Amino acid sequence: MSTSAVRLDGLTKQYPKTNKAAVSNLSLQIPEGAVYGLLGPNGAGKSTTVMMLCGLMRPDAGTVNVLGMNMQEQGTEIRQKIGVASQEIALFPTLTAYENLFYFGRMYGMPGAMIRSQIDKYLHIFGLTEKSKKIVHTFSGGMKRRLNLMAALLHQPKLVILDEPTAGVDVQSRNMILDFLKDLKSEGTTIIYSSHVLEEAERICSHLGIIDEGTLITEGTRTNIMGAHPDCQNLEQLFLKLTGKNIRD
Amino acid sequence: MKTLATIYKEFLLLIRDPGGLALIFIMPLALVIVMALVQDAPFRDYQEVKLDVLFVDQDADSLSAKVKQAFDSSPNVNLVVKTDTAEVKKLIQAGAFKAAIVIPANSSETLREKTKQLIIEVFSNFGLAEASKDSVDMNAIGIKILFDPAIKSNYKQTLTGGVQKIIAGIQAQWILDELQNQLSEGRADVKKTKVSLTDIIQVKEQYASEKKYQGLMLNSVQHNVPAWTMFAMFFILYPLAGNFIKEREEGSLLRLRLISGSQFPVISGKFAFYFMICLLQFVLMIAVGIYIMPLLGLSKLVLGSNIAGILLIACSVAMAATGYGVLIAVYFRTPQQALSFGSVSVVILSAIGGVWVPVYVMPEILQTISRFSPMSWGLESFNDLFLRQASIQTILPNVLRLTGFSLVTLFISVIIHKSRTIL
Repeated sequence: MSTSAVRLDGLTKQYPKTNKAAVSNLSLQIPEGAVYGLLGPNGAGKSTTVMMLCGLMRPDAGTVNVLGMNMQEQGTEIRQKIGVASQEIALFPTLTAYENLFYFGRMYGMPGAMIRSQIDKYLHIFGLTEKSKKIVHTFSGGMKRRLNLMAALLHQPKLVILDEPTAGVDVQSRNMILDFLKDLKSEGTTIIYSSHVLEEAERICSHLGIIDEGTLITEGTRTNIMGAHPDCQNLEQLFLKLTGKNIRD
Repeated sequence: MKTLATIYKEFLLLIRDPGGLALIFIMPLALVIVMALVQDAPFRDYQEVKLDVLFVDQDADSLSAKVKQAFDSSPNVNLVVKTDTAEVKKLIQAGAFKAAIVIPANSSETLREKTKQLIIEVFSNFGLAEASKDSVDMNAIGIKILFDPAIKSNYKQTLTGGVQKIIAGIQAQWILDELQNQLSEGRADVKKTKVSLTDIIQVKEQYASEKKYQGLMLNSVQHNVPAWTMFAMFFILYPLAGNFIKEREEGSLLRLRLISGSQFPVISGKFAFYFMICLLQFVLMIAVGIYIMPLLGLSKLVLGSNIAGILLIACSVAMAATGYGVLIAVYFRTPQQALSFGSVSVVILSAIGGVWVPVYVMPEILQTISRFSPMSWGLESFNDLFLRQASIQTILPNVLRLTGFSLVTLFISVIIHKSRTIL
């Protein structure tokens, strides 16, 4: 865990026609193999940070380094090595689970045999083997969410970015996803985990970064952060202590 | 491989979308058939339509007999003989008939007498005869043609012209006869010559087409099949933009944006797939023109002899239509915006491009504007190929315009898409 999978330096982004930066001078480091919980209330700047991290948005200032490469210069190579499961179910609803995964595999440039073996592996892991030939729009929310995650993992990325990966799923599916993420971490994959469900973050994250109003207010290993606030019995208490109880837009 | 994967994905999406399939294949086929049937009558000009015309013969002499004989032998006019002028007027007013010809009483006698007087006057001027002492002024012969106010002006002009032509012919014949009468007066040895004026000059109508395609002219099928085929091809933007924006809204396009090197295959795969769909539409619509239209009592679509030219222009139109569809899909952010703007713009492009009515019947300003519609380029080339047996060289400027239009729309689409990929 000595090298950084992600290093953000002085990242700043202000949207047009706004008078405040969405992300301001944000710097953080995510060690390789960590499960990094990127937490913050609504409008804190998490999504903007993730967008810049994926290369979907150019920062006004600062640099993004992912897996030892600079986003500005090697964005194409970086995107080949990261997997993103967005909060939206980014799938084709009228294709089957298999067809969806095969198409995304092809778009990653994977050979057919490799795609098939990866699909079989993940269908088995996520309990969807028997549903592989079913049209996705007939799936339950949990099944879609699992498939959405599978599509982000097919090409064996070194960094996985997950935005609310358990939103709208039942307890069983959530448990399955969280267990899988632990296994993924044990294989050395770095995971950035953005969620409002702090229990989940507490359960799987080795590192935490809490953002509010575009700035990083705390960062470190979960143990260190919790240790620095002995008055907080859990992550939720710590979160409220650091970000306040005011309702956000 | 990525482009092929996208083509296959688009194929799967389309075959699982019955609404999209109907919109792409069934609706255009129905549209082209309906439009060809609806526009069949307007497209037939006077030569093709048999017009029922009332005929009131108050003259009952040679002039009216000649007029009746002339129209009876015409394939385009069916004379319905009536005797009562008031009844005729009522029938026309009621719209039961489009026109009536009324030959007043003594028309033949008056014309005969007028002709005689004219010849005598000419002879007397040359000192060959004495001016008739009992010469009286006679009113002009008042042949009436009553028209329904709703009659098309070309029918009106053709019927009036026809009557005038017949009368002029009779008059010329009678002048000649009277001339012979005057010259042979008192000379029993001179035999009158029977002269037919119609044999002197013959006007032959011919289309400037190759022998094999003589008689082929713009009709409802020849106009509507290529015109509405192009309209349907441009309407490809509906499923194309609809699917594209749906993918954007559902997030699958976001996933593709996150995959490096996927932007070109996504756009090119969509373009290639819908280009092929456009060509398939074209083949189906042409097949309808050839095999289905004749079964409905319409003319058979004649393609002409330049099949390579037809394929070339079909590919160019398909490229232009797909390029336009991609631009609409990429530019607009919501399906409502894209589909409303897209469909209205296609209707406007088709109207000014001569799909609804041929460009030559439009006002001059619209004829000028139509030069900027890709559908006009396509339609002009189809007419060149189908009716005029044009060469590839003739249609090449329009092929280049359509291809250029496609490349420009694609180029703009890629720029917009890229600008939205990295914010």
